[in-house]
Amino acid sequence: MTIEVRDLSTHFRLSAGTIKAVDGVSLSVRRGQILGLVGESGSGKTVTGFSIMRLVESPGFIAGGNILFQGTDLARISEEEMRRLRGNRIAMIFQDPMMTLNPVLRIDTQMVETIRAHEKTSREEALRRARDALGMVGIPSPEERLKAYPHQFSGGMRQRVAIAIAFLHKPDLIIADEPTTALDVTIQGQILAEVQKLTSKFGTSLIWISHDLSVVAALADEIAVMYAGRLVEQGKVGEVLDHPLHPYTKGLIDSVPNRNRRGAALNQIKGMTPSLADLPEGCSFRTRCPREAEICKQVPLTREWLHDHTARCHRPYHPTEDFT
Amino acid sequence: MSHVPMVEILNVSKRFGKAPTFGDRLARRFGGYRPQKTVHAIDGVDLGIAKGQILGLVGESGCGKSTLGRIVAGIIPPTEGVVRWHGDNANRPSQVEVRRAKPGIQMIFQDPMSSLNPRMRVAEIVGEAPLVHGLVPRRDINAYVDEQLVRAGLDPAYKKRYPHQFSGGQRQRISIARALAVQPEFLVCDESVAALDVSIQAQVINLFMKLRDELNLTYLFISHDLGVVEHLSDRVAIMYLGRIVEEAPTEEIFAMANHPYTQSLLAAVPRIENRKSSFAVVKGEIPSPFSPPTGCHFHPRCPHAFARCRSERPAIRQIAASHFSACHLNDGSA
Repeated sequence: MTIEVRDLSTHFRLSAGTIKAVDGVSLSVRRGQILGLVGESGSGKTVTGFSIMRLVESPGFIAGGNILFQGTDLARISEEEMRRLRGNRIAMIFQDPMMTLNPVLRIDTQMVETIRAHEKTSREEALRRARDALGMVGIPSPEERLKAYPHQFSGGMRQRVAIAIAFLHKPDLIIADEPTTALDVTIQGQILAEVQKLTSKFGTSLIWISHDLSVVAALADEIAVMYAGRLVEQGKVGEVLDHPLHPYTKGLIDSVPNRNRRGAALNQIKGMTPSLADLPEGCSFRTRCPREAEICKQVPLTREWLHDHTARCHRPYHPTEDFT
Repeated sequence: MSHVPMVEILNVSKRFGKAPTFGDRLARRFGGYRPQKTVHAIDGVDLGIAKGQILGLVGESGCGKSTLGRIVAGIIPPTEGVVRWHGDNANRPSQVEVRRAKPGIQMIFQDPMSSLNPRMRVAEIVGEAPLVHGLVPRRDINAYVDEQLVRAGLDPAYKKRYPHQFSGGQRQRISIARALAVQPEFLVCDESVAALDVSIQAQVINLFMKLRDELNLTYLFISHDLGVVEHLSDRVAIMYLGRIVEEAPTEEIFAMANHPYTQSLLAAVPRIENRKSSFAVVKGEIPSPFSPPTGCHFHPRCPHAFARCRSERPAIRQIAASHFSACHLNDGSA
């Protein structure tokens, strides 16, 4: 197990009250595996990623739970120890590569800095590794491109640079937060192909945060679905997408246009995403759910309904035993 | 198409350029060469949309699809070419005609937050245009606004609120209500569902389809999302760097794409059915519209490119009943 998150809660203390952005999330990723963390905006998927990186800033704080990274609890270690891991053993790729890149420094300066922050190497050696890293993610003539500034790259190329930086120390875990969402489809295809190649080459574990089920279907081994701060379903990609247990997961899959007959009305989930400050009691999906019943007013617990396939629901689809 | 299309654009081009500065003119005067930077946003495009039809316009960023949408909507004039509206030239109408004709076409943008005035209440946003155009007398405007909001799936009780008090999906419904308030025949939707979450996106797409049936609307639906376009459109046009490379009925373009760009675009779209797949990779990047490649714009990325593609622009030709494509490969077999 590269990473094991147990019962993680991240809260934001606001004047309006405490917001539970992440509420009791447990997940784990094995070495070399890819986990797709799926959810809509405000579901807490990004905050989960930031919590693992310990990048949550005030008024947010980790309110409870364990983040076990190779046996070390990241929720408990000092900031100093975390700095040694961050960028070295755990790296992050953001949706906007300009979150990673400094606009006023050349690419070589930034890459050499990253390498030398964690390793004692000569500048020449670091430069050579930076050049190789750029070549590895498919940037043409890396030698010259090292001398360029971030604004001289296109959006897709910038994201490649950010990916190259993330892989510099061959980390054990990479958290990628919607890295292809802002890119065109043909460029997205190129980036996904590179990421697939690199993770299998280095045995890197990857948490791929996305709102796009189709991308996760093609890329991930496992999938975890978040809704309003809670993990509602988790399992192997094929299992979850072909036999969704949770009504929210099923609703999401059914609302993808090419799953519907052309021109017919799309299956839609009624209502809107509730505000985290004002969630319905019990199951937070209750008010939008087609299977709502009296019992849903109690908070459902995560249960393994099928082999390696869990859901947080009182009345899931696809019953294998008599629990309807 | 046997009858006159509702909207027709003929050989339309749009160039954006900077007027030469004083320094440029001075340099040129003394023989210095300062090439003027011009972007050919649209380069000789023909398109027709029949009444009641939904035409999906697909392309990647920078291909000119939004510019084309704005030209069709009459927001910006084309540099060359004509836009015909019910067979009439809509290019240089008189001011009176503009005021009369404009409500016929409405546009819905990607980001409702930047297309709705943050300091106006919903009732004003939706009610302003029908009053100005004299569609509704002032005493009836309240009931009229309510009717528009209900049709767009909003509770009229919210009409005293400001746009920032709504969620993204609701805001998009406000833009739709505003557009429909002037009783248009034709809607240009520019990435209108791109910023929405999947579950909300489905609701808005369903609303678009419902409105089309109820009001017999015609749409130009601009999107980068092939899944959405496939679901919604009757015909699809694919754009690449300012040119339309292929146009066909939706089923046909998805079943037998002809142009190599369309084929690679379709192959790159991830689908929920494809598990743990390797991604079909189109080589190279989208070239800059400042210096597009010679000949066929797609040739540097095309797996089938040959000498002629580098020198000669392929004309868009009919290759099957109502299927058009701009590729030299089609000449070989013809």
